[in-house]
Amino acid sequence: MRLGIVSFAHLHAEGYINNLRANPEVDVIGFADDNPERGAHFARRYGIRQFDSYEALIAAQPDGVVICTENARHRPVVELAAQAGVHVLCEKPLATTLEDARAMIEACERGGVHLMTAFPMRFNAPVIEAKRVMESGALGRIYGANTTNQGKLPRYHSDYVRAWFEQKDLAGGGAAMDHTVHLVDLLRWFLGCEVVEVYAQLNDILYREAGVDVETGGLVMLTFEDGTFASVDCSWSKPPSYPTWGGLTMEIVGETGLLTVDAFKQVTAVYGREERARWPYWGSDSNQAMIDEFVAAIRDNRPPAITGYDGYRALEVALAAYTSAACGEPVRLPLI
Amino acid sequence: MLRVGLVGAGFMGAHHAAGWAATPATLAGVLSLDPAAVRSLVERYGGRAYASLDELINDVDVVDICTPTHLHYEMVLKAAAAGKHVVCEKPLARTIAQAEEMIAACERAGVKLLVAHVVRYFPQYAQAKALVERGEIGKVAVVRLTRASFRPRRALDNWFLDGEKSGGMLLDLMLHDFDYARWIAGEVETVFAKSVSAARPDAPGDYALAILRHRGGAISNLESAWAYPPPLFRTSLQIAGSHGLIDHPADSAVPVKVHLMADAAETPDIAVPASPLTDTPYTTEIKEFYQALVHDVPPRVTAHDGLMALRLAFAAIESARTGRPVSPQEV
Repeated sequence: MRLGIVSFAHLHAEGYINNLRANPEVDVIGFADDNPERGAHFARRYGIRQFDSYEALIAAQPDGVVICTENARHRPVVELAAQAGVHVLCEKPLATTLEDARAMIEACERGGVHLMTAFPMRFNAPVIEAKRVMESGALGRIYGANTTNQGKLPRYHSDYVRAWFEQKDLAGGGAAMDHTVHLVDLLRWFLGCEVVEVYAQLNDILYREAGVDVETGGLVMLTFEDGTFASVDCSWSKPPSYPTWGGLTMEIVGETGLLTVDAFKQVTAVYGREERARWPYWGSDSNQAMIDEFVAAIRDNRPPAITGYDGYRALEVALAAYTSAACGEPVRLPLI
Repeated sequence: MLRVGLVGAGFMGAHHAAGWAATPATLAGVLSLDPAAVRSLVERYGGRAYASLDELINDVDVVDICTPTHLHYEMVLKAAAAGKHVVCEKPLARTIAQAEEMIAACERAGVKLLVAHVVRYFPQYAQAKALVERGEIGKVAVVRLTRASFRPRRALDNWFLDGEKSGGMLLDLMLHDFDYARWIAGEVETVFAKSVSAARPDAPGDYALAILRHRGGAISNLESAWAYPPPLFRTSLQIAGSHGLIDHPADSAVPVKVHLMADAAETPDIAVPASPLTDTPYTTEIKEFYQALVHDVPPRVTAHDGLMALRLAFAAIESARTGRPVSPQEV
């Protein structure tokens, strides 16, 4: 199966290239990047063929592409791929507006191709174990959940600095756009119903003095159709010295039990004589399982486990969080 | 010699009695509906059993009130009217109006009103406050506080579960973290809360989440549960600032763990955190109150703080009931 990568704008492309190469069914035909400096950098680093343009990559007729452009630039390449009959795995958030997200879903339907949203947390082994506990009914009727997806400021995530993560026009926002969608998707998946109300408080105290002008702190309260409520902490609140990039946690409380999930707890603590503490991760690679699912869906000609619709609903919640933060009131869904 | 009269010999009464024993004050005696509990306290810490509140008040310098919440109001007013200093368990009162009247009465009488918000005396919480005050993490941005345990199953008619008496979980349990969040991040502009009891009063447990917006822009996430399987009790504290992060994950302060086959049968009636200390936080609190009473040293928590914590709790209760964000000034 011939697959390509569209852009290294999103840092996850750095992981996906290795995941694609690790799948024995996949032939990585190459990548394209509209930023020449970035393209040259990653072509060198990964020894991967670089196409001159997204059009040239699509014209090479891959079976599928992984879209890792800036959040606001997903739509044109998804439409390009869909028209050419190329399956799409698109980085989250699916888009930065509902209009774009809807257009992408419709383009892929018209083109008869899969649109999968990259929500790797659904493939995280501790999360899957937690889902199994949820499904067993052991917790009884669920009361609520207290969840976090905190991280460092994106510039500290990789040695290759990606300034666009902190620019509203390209990222669609800051921490709330970056970190709300994973937990919205997991909670939708766990609870089996949709979010009907969103309340959010956002602030920009962290890194304001460093010139970051998007929100860096955020707390979002979700209410689901069945009455369950959950808060999501999406803050970029792990300082640069934190021993790992961040993390994702859930505490789910039900009538007959408590379930806690720390999705990235499988680490070894390393304390150097001079270097600061590090927590290298030894848990299973959820990105690999997600890439493998995309490949399997193409191979078996079936819809992937996560769709464009899932990406749309998660984006809707993130956008509602901005509306709520601006007006100070809870916002009802669906937005349109 | 400062003479203290203890009203209430339950869980908190016992902790306060132990606290006074660690000060130069004298426990003059105890008043309680539970004669066995009174006997046990006076045998251990001295003093006598009182037959009435009037008798107690007339015999002491300080009235220490560890009774169920709904009784605080009348007892504090009586003590103040007699010119006696007051130590009062949290929540200060069952309503905001009562709390305001109690504060005014104590001011008029020229007596101290010390509110036992003990979380400020737990060493990790006090240390985090000190770190923030020293500017070690810069400006506070995002605060996370959890306080979660099983449904109280106390003797003495289990007043915790009687909303009329205790005010429910938000007023009794989340109150601790309302006070602490305000101590750490400043006055609160808006409270938005969801609670199971507001939506489903007949649910077997209670669970609540609240998001606070503080005046300086900081935001806080508070979680409380009376829903855990016994004997589980978890608290956590995390404060993210512009220049650093303070983190106390749940269970991190439990240096000694014992797991026994008998555990299931040995569950206590209500839960307290287990972290061995030379002085319990209750004793630290009472020692500070002693300094306030005898040497006029300002305690870290004032009656006004007790009132403001009540305002936040009632704002959360109102928010959970109406589904709207509520300003603590509105309630």
